[in-house]
Amino acid sequence: MNAVSWALTLGKFVFVFVPLAMIVFMIVMERKGASLIQDRFGPNRTDLPIFGGLRFFGLIQNFADGIKLFTKELVVPKFVHKGYYTIASMIPFAVAIIIPGLLPWFAPIAFEDGGQVFNIPGEIVSADGGLLIVFALSGLAVYGTVLGGWASNNKYSILGGLRATSMMISYEVSMGLSVMGLFLLAGSLRLPDIVAWQSQHVWGVLVQPVAFIIYVVSLIAETGRAPFDMAEAEPEIVGHHLEYSGMRFGLFYMGEYVHIVVNSLLIATLFLGGYDIPVLHTAGLQAHLGAVAAVILAVCGLSAFGLMAMMIRWIRIYRTSGASDVVNRSREYGFMSVCLAVAGVICLAAAAVCAVCLHPEGVMIGGQLVYPLWTSLITALVQFGVLFVKALLFCWLWVWVRWSLPRFRYDQVMSLGWKVFLNLALANLLITAVVAKIVEGN
Amino acid sequence: MAKVVERREMTAVEKIYLVEAARGLYITMKHFLRGFFHAEKLPTVSYPELKVAIPRDYRAQHRLMKRPDGSPRCVACSMCATACPSRCITVEAAPSADGEIEKRAGSFRIDTLRCVYCGLCVEACPVDAIRMDTEKVAFTGDAREKFVRTLDDLMDWDPKDYPGDEQSQKAPGGTLNEEARRTWEKGTGH
Repeated sequence: MNAVSWALTLGKFVFVFVPLAMIVFMIVMERKGASLIQDRFGPNRTDLPIFGGLRFFGLIQNFADGIKLFTKELVVPKFVHKGYYTIASMIPFAVAIIIPGLLPWFAPIAFEDGGQVFNIPGEIVSADGGLLIVFALSGLAVYGTVLGGWASNNKYSILGGLRATSMMISYEVSMGLSVMGLFLLAGSLRLPDIVAWQSQHVWGVLVQPVAFIIYVVSLIAETGRAPFDMAEAEPEIVGHHLEYSGMRFGLFYMGEYVHIVVNSLLIATLFLGGYDIPVLHTAGLQAHLGAVAAVILAVCGLSAFGLMAMMIRWIRIYRTSGASDVVNRSREYGFMSVCLAVAGVICLAAAAVCAVCLHPEGVMIGGQLVYPLWTSLITALVQFGVLFVKALLFCWLWVWVRWSLPRFRYDQVMSLGWKVFLNLALANLLITAVVAKIVEGN
Repeated sequence: MAKVVERREMTAVEKIYLVEAARGLYITMKHFLRGFFHAEKLPTVSYPELKVAIPRDYRAQHRLMKRPDGSPRCVACSMCATACPSRCITVEAAPSADGEIEKRAGSFRIDTLRCVYCGLCVEACPVDAIRMDTEKVAFTGDAREKFVRTLDDLMDWDPKDYPGDEQSQKAPGGTLNEEARRTWEKGTGH
């Protein structure tokens, strides 16, 4: 281990905070998604008092909410069990930020230093248990709900906690069984191995479509969001966080979003090839790094221009509406359009520079093609971006499903879990085993 | 007689649920995309900045009409107070300075917290003195007394806000005021 590999190994811990940082954007996505699905505008009042009030599409509202939650009094009812009550709100959040440590964020970085080749794996903790640990940890998250319900000493809270428990038990089984087929094919429980198998063969969603559906639905159920939000069904029982206030409630609330991001990353890793780009893969990505970076930057730049065009169009229409805040809105959108135009120009220029100048040359050292360190770092960044975009799609799926489908009745949830999903998962496992035996031979 | 609701048996495709769920998702996605790319087509109106057009005969906050010289048109007959089902109008008469008219409103108070905005006062008024066409639907106050509107409050309006209304234009500041004042003075012999 030399200094660079130490720095990289420690630097990887930054990725643990990716789901945490995503909370802010998830809340915006949820609010704007919900409002647009319901034909509303969503949060558009809180603003920074510069340039006629910068609102950043409701992002500023989050900070107002954060200040409110942090400064709010923590009301602890007299009848709760104080210890469990306090711990309960922390559990889901804590558990959800451990899991990212096991995910492979990029392909192993190989670089050469003094004639010696170093390989830095793309995950923070290389555990042979892999997904089993992930399952164990995400199963722990329900303890927060159950303890919260129990410690609140309130019959509705305990009902919420019990519902969460029974649902976790029902869906954890089919969830675990559904990915068993993938383990059979990949021959390993380690997440990097599963991603490597997918990049060598095909994406998991193509070989295991049934498992994919079961897994996604089970994960939605496990997160405890609509249409499976039995634990906090507002019209029936308010649920496990009924007695919580201030930031303790905020922890439950944020834990839910961290959970969504982590689960989306998991789905992307298991079924959508993780950091892998089809056709190119890691070797191709490194060989054509300049072209790939140019394409990505060009897409970013063009999207910035697209967003700018949307803003200009909107403010033009808004000016004709005769609203009383046209001046302020024009200034806000004008400022953001200028920012986007600058960003777009920078992206396009960078794309051109990448396309012309970025041609990494690899050298063969001990049968391994090794590129310079900066090439490997850019490759890792691109792969992280790919994984992130795939996960974002599923983050949106969570929001989309929540605001589209009505809540299941409790007995429907149970019969779906035990009578349908469990059988399907078992059948899927059996068929996968037989086909794998015939195709692969051993 | 109780109405029997026929429960239709779900078809096989509907029982799978996933297809129907996908249809639901498709519908919500259409709404999302419409809002995302064409926000101006959303039925929601950003309220304080933009307001929905209020119909001409909408019963909003009251106002008292003015004579061309700016005095209240009200003759303190108390017909509105009599017609009012919530008894929110109090009119006190005072002798009118005008020789032709016996009384004028000395004080005119409407307790807007009691008012049910039925518009019966407007219909009862024999001289078209009270109207509810201000289009003001939101008003605030931090004490109950602030919601009692007095004669001055009720007369505090600008003819410019009622450009199409001939009667309002005859009040001081209106486009027809000069002409109306001449006619008025001729008629009353001043």
